[in-house]
Amino acid sequence: MSLNSLERTLDKVLSQKESELISEIDSALQNSLKNLESSKSTLQVEYDAIIESSKKQAENLKRQIIGSSTLNARNKELIIIESAIDEIFTKAKEKLAQSNNEKNYEKLLTKMIQDSVSKLGSDIVIQCNKADQKLVRKISSQEPTGKNMKISVSDDFLDIIGGIKATSVDGTMTLDNTLDSNIESLKPLIRKAIVQLLRGEKK
Amino acid sequence: MVIDGVTKASFDELVEIETDEGERRLGKVLEIGFGKAVVQVFEGTTGLAITGTKVKFLGKTMTMPVSQELLGRVFDGLGRPNDGLPDPVADKFLDVNGEPMNPQSREYPTSFIQTGVSVIDGMLTLVRGQKLPIFSGSGMSHNILAAQIARQATVVGTNEDFAVVFAAIGVQYSEAQYFKRSLEESGALRRSVLFINLADDPAIERIITPRVALTVAEYLAFDLGMHVLAILTDMTNYAEALREISAAREEVPGRKGYPGYLYTDLANNYERAGRIKGKSGSVTQMPILSMPADDITHPIPDLTGYITEGQVVLGRDLFRKGIYPPVNVMMSLSRLMKDGVGEGKTRSDHMEVGNQLYDAYSRAQEVRALAEIVGKAGLTGVDLKYLDAGDNFETHFLKQSPDENRNLDETLSRAWDILAALPEGELTKIKDKHIQQYYKGNK
Repeated sequence: MSLNSLERTLDKVLSQKESELISEIDSALQNSLKNLESSKSTLQVEYDAIIESSKKQAENLKRQIIGSSTLNARNKELIIIESAIDEIFTKAKEKLAQSNNEKNYEKLLTKMIQDSVSKLGSDIVIQCNKADQKLVRKISSQEPTGKNMKISVSDDFLDIIGGIKATSVDGTMTLDNTLDSNIESLKPLIRKAIVQLLRGEKK
Repeated sequence: MVIDGVTKASFDELVEIETDEGERRLGKVLEIGFGKAVVQVFEGTTGLAITGTKVKFLGKTMTMPVSQELLGRVFDGLGRPNDGLPDPVADKFLDVNGEPMNPQSREYPTSFIQTGVSVIDGMLTLVRGQKLPIFSGSGMSHNILAAQIARQATVVGTNEDFAVVFAAIGVQYSEAQYFKRSLEESGALRRSVLFINLADDPAIERIITPRVALTVAEYLAFDLGMHVLAILTDMTNYAEALREISAAREEVPGRKGYPGYLYTDLANNYERAGRIKGKSGSVTQMPILSMPADDITHPIPDLTGYITEGQVVLGRDLFRKGIYPPVNVMMSLSRLMKDGVGEGKTRSDHMEVGNQLYDAYSRAQEVRALAEIVGKAGLTGVDLKYLDAGDNFETHFLKQSPDENRNLDETLSRAWDILAALPEGELTKIKDKHIQQYYKGNK
């Protein structure tokens, strides 16, 4: 084979290879562009999913923050209101404790004793606080529920703000008619009224 | 506790017991007669002495103070604050036994509640006023599901108020903390009321817990006009407590030792759900019960199933496969779904898609059984597609994270993804117009 024909063959092979390579590169380029194009939509889906999930997370976080802040604020309000209620009750009790000289108080005690006799029978023992003992003795001696009664006033004083505690002589039944226990049983209703006043719902 | 010399006590009357040290406890009258009253003490009788203990009959049955302030609060099983905050200021005091709803005044439930759980929203839709129990088994993820529903449940597309009343009955301390934390951290506590009765609380308290919770639910719904979802977990603990008290009263036992009135007693609780004509609110109930030994014929699930409107059954196989929520859809059903979904309520294709998913999953189960005998090679092309659809259903639709809240569109979109694996001709439950609109497979 001559040198020329060898060169021609080499050129032919080279140009063939060149065109093959170019076509491969072209096809790779096309593939890459296609992949890029298809990736775009996949990426867009992923991007949308990430954005969507972040939005959801942000929404959840917002709900959590608002929820817990509202609740915390409300709970603090409840605590403040409760301390105001306690203060009001303390002052009211102090005032009631000083009211045993009033005429109405004697009427109240008379009614309490009558109540005790009607519920426990005519033979009862009454306990009260030290300050009320004289008044209770006086009312008992006036036979407030008629004759044939045996009301004894105990020297065992109660630490209460007022009212009486009556016990049947056999000690099996007790009627707690102290102001303390009455306040306690009416406390839910009184609390409601106080809260309405504090919140301006009632004047 | 037996008290002598009692003449005027009434059945169920509340009793206050004062120990000689001044400690006060509550109880209720179980039996009366021959001058004696049998009282069950809520806090237990430990430490009560025969001498020095005073008893006061309060002349009333147990009441629960109710007001809007209860939202965001945590109470014990008897309705006493358990969150360190003061007693709520009561708007009313309601008898915890409730008042029966006049059947004539009941309104048929037809509005959708979104739970954010695909399998429930898509296939076992919960409707406002419905009672839909979850039947679970020991150790399964019913509590996680209950907490997820409590966090996520909502009424979509309206401005109506929604609240959750959550009663944990006879749960462990760790579970109680989980429920509390779960609602607190998600911000859902502010629209919830939580009642926690712990496993070591006396049995009598467990009897009261669902009643107290439902009393609050009724108040929020029918006095304040809110849509309330009441979740009661675990009703099995409630029934066990009922059995314990019944045995103590020496009543004639019925099936498995439960009292003969178990059905009536459960119905007393479950029937406190619904809607009332002329009132805007609703009480929807989701009682959760763990079936002893996974036995669905056990008296508790059996009787519950008679009263409620469907059931969501959790499956042990799916639980073992690590699928959450492990809902066995083939055994589950929401009887009111058909009335709460579709055009104008959810989406027009909702019911059809749900039915088609049932159909596809049921076929997939059959094909799975067949493949175990003949092998995959013996299956037809369509069978293989059903097999894929079944697997996809479990992993793509049923399975979801406990904190993943899927809206209905997302749920239905996932359902269509699964149906896309099937040939169009197999979608026999769906109208052509919906196939045209939503089908994602090769046409």
